[in-house]
Amino acid sequence: MVRVDCDKICSIWPCEQPEEFRNVWVVAELNDGKIVEASLQMLTPARQIAEKLKEKVVGVLLGPPGSSSLAREMIARGAEEVIIVEHERLSRYSPETVGSVVVELAMKYKPSVILFAATARGRELAPYVANTLKTGITADCTDFDVDPESKDVLMIRPPFSAIMLAYIRTPFRRPQIGTARPNVFPAPEPDYERRGEVLIEKAEPPEPRARLVKRARLALEETPIEKADVIVSGGKGLGGPEGFKILEELASLIGGVIAGSRKAVDAGWIPQDRQVGQTGKSVKPILYIAVGISGSAQHMVGVREARRIVAINIDENAPIVSQADYTVIGDYREIIPALVEELKRLREERSRYLEELLEGEVEEIRITT
Amino acid sequence: MGLRIVVGFKWVPNTQAVRIDPKTGTLIRQGVPSIINPPDLAAVELALRLRDRYGGEVIAATMGPPPAVKGLEHLISMGVDYGYMFSDRVFAGADTLATSYVLANGLKLIEGERGKVDLAIFGQETIDSSTAHIGAQVASWLEWPYVYYVRWAELTENSSIRVERIVEGYLEEYEVPLPAVLSVAMRAFKPRDITLKGKLRAKLEKPFKIVSNKDLGLDPRCVGLKGSPTIVAKVTYLPDIPRKREVYKPRDPRDGARWLLRKLLKDPETRDLILRQLWGG
Ligand SMILES: Cc1cc2nc3c(=O)[nH]c(=O)nc-3n(C[C@H](O)[C@H](O)[C@H](O)COP(=O)(O)OP(=O)(O)OC[C@H]3O[C@@H](n4cnc5c(N)ncnc54)[C@H](O)[C@@H]3O)c2cc1C
Ligand SMILES: Nc1ncnc2c1ncn2[C@@H]1O[C@H](COP(=O)(O)O)[C@@H](O)[C@H]1O
Repeated sequence: MVRVDCDKICSIWPCEQPEEFRNVWVVAELNDGKIVEASLQMLTPARQIAEKLKEKVVGVLLGPPGSSSLAREMIARGAEEVIIVEHERLSRYSPETVGSVVVELAMKYKPSVILFAATARGRELAPYVANTLKTGITADCTDFDVDPESKDVLMIRPPFSAIMLAYIRTPFRRPQIGTARPNVFPAPEPDYERRGEVLIEKAEPPEPRARLVKRARLALEETPIEKADVIVSGGKGLGGPEGFKILEELASLIGGVIAGSRKAVDAGWIPQDRQVGQTGKSVKPILYIAVGISGSAQHMVGVREARRIVAINIDENAPIVSQADYTVIGDYREIIPALVEELKRLREERSRYLEELLEGEVEEIRITT
Repeated sequence: MGLRIVVGFKWVPNTQAVRIDPKTGTLIRQGVPSIINPPDLAAVELALRLRDRYGGEVIAATMGPPPAVKGLEHLISMGVDYGYMFSDRVFAGADTLATSYVLANGLKLIEGERGKVDLAIFGQETIDSSTAHIGAQVASWLEWPYVYYVRWAELTENSSIRVERIVEGYLEEYEVPLPAVLSVAMRAFKPRDITLKGKLRAKLEKPFKIVSNKDLGLDPRCVGLKGSPTIVAKVTYLPDIPRKREVYKPRDPRDGARWLLRKLLKDPETRDLILRQLWGG
């Protein structure tokens, strides 16, 4: 670990030695009285970092009276300790209220690392906390590591182009703060037998100056893409909004939702909240069907967690071909309706057709890539 | 009366072909055309609409290299009243803490020269780093309240600003006392075109100022690379995820569909999922 030379660093940063800081925090985001899935997912990298640092994983739970019952969920998923603050003013999320309590706790306990989920709220909150502590923050990490010599956490993120990875260190300041988007990490499997320590802290969160005057749930749409098991995704290659109609028929048959590439969003064919990729969402379906999508690095970072990727593309040299599990080369206007036909037949004829499909040997013309 | 609004924008490289210098970990900007970070145009548009409605002035502010002056000229051509560019070699290599420090202090300098600022408005995020940090960080330096993802705004009688946003399936409305920081949702406001009158004003009157750190007077250890707690340790390529990479060029569409379906039904990962969807249960 480095010794920080107080004369060399910025005069308005607190001069503190990294060795004074311990433990890896995950700040839980609450929504409708529950810990959001994305925060639980952050326990996965937290455990990896804590193991390498030989430090503890600590959950931070800030909420209205009664929130302490949620500590169990964090402990089941690997928190060894949970710090809880319960206060009426924490019943509404506000970056000022939640943020100032996190800052206060961080100054008292001196964690070496704080992780936040990069949800819409987390992205608003985390940089406020980092800045108020005069420390560094790295957004949208896709991985974390620990430098064995300096014990600095390496926050790993794609910078400008998604092909590259930057390893970012915070050598002279603590805590080291990082965020990761939802679904970049899986949540640890819960084990409700696990035991952990619970610390109840007192804090007086300020009244938020930005006052919430109205909150209304929007009409519930389709399943958001980040929660879907099957995604049928379209790109520029669809040629127009009517292409998505063809995809919708396939999606409804196999219980999928519609998503798309940035070019499809930019063309106005689907809404922004359906965009997959670096500047859209990361998704983790079991099956991702990419139709008329070339497979740019910025798109493919969003589907790293997909269990299987199917591509339908007219061009056998498209980059996606070497990044998918199964690719059919051809015009989607022909392939998708044919697939819909086959699926309908399988739905009707059930086992009989299943046998035929599985047995029927078709001589395969393979393309080597 | 009216509102004095500072709107922040970043001059960013406009291409996917940008590479990172593997030695220094910084962007290689040479030969890459730059533009105003597109989400910032929505922030500028909101600022202009508020000024058009309530009076006052809109001041564009950026920390960036000398060519960023082109960005200022463009915004003035759109109708922005005045511009400030904070430009100095010592600002180079800044992370978001060091950038927001310059911008927050720049805003104080602007207040000294032009009068109290009521609102600082930013874009949602930049296309070259997409951290969405700067808004919250500037708010933290200034100790002003802030709201992200704004898609509508209006003044109230008691000189607060009422803003609307959508966050995770909820429509939220906040009332925020001024001065405040807002960050505007991507694509929330369609930016207006430049006008000939504005273009002439930018070229002839040059209503903007370039400010170095000598004028700003910040501790050189708090700006640029030195003032950045995060440093890029190294840069590598993203490892590939192993995939099956089975490719089939069918004789006819039905043949292709059957090949794909057989693959998915033989694959234990997808088999049950598909049969469950088709057959229920
Ligand atoms: C900083 C940055 C961030 C970005 N973030 C994202 C992001 O989050 N998400 C994202 O998706 N992109 C993102 N991009 C854009 C990305 O680089 C690509 O431009 C984009 O993903 C390409 O979209 P596409 O695959 O739909 O279109 P194209 O690249 O144009 O590909 C179209 C494909 O359709 C195929 N095709 C054409 N006709 C047919 C047909 N009839 N049947 C079947 N196939 C057909 C073609 O062979 C081609 O492969 C980002 C770029 C930058 C610089
Ligand atoms: N160098 C800069 N100068 C002025 N404004 C900036 C600068 N960098 C970022 N911003 C503003 O802060 C917003 C968020 O940027 P970022 O945190 O880099 O994603 C941008 O949309 C801009 O409005």
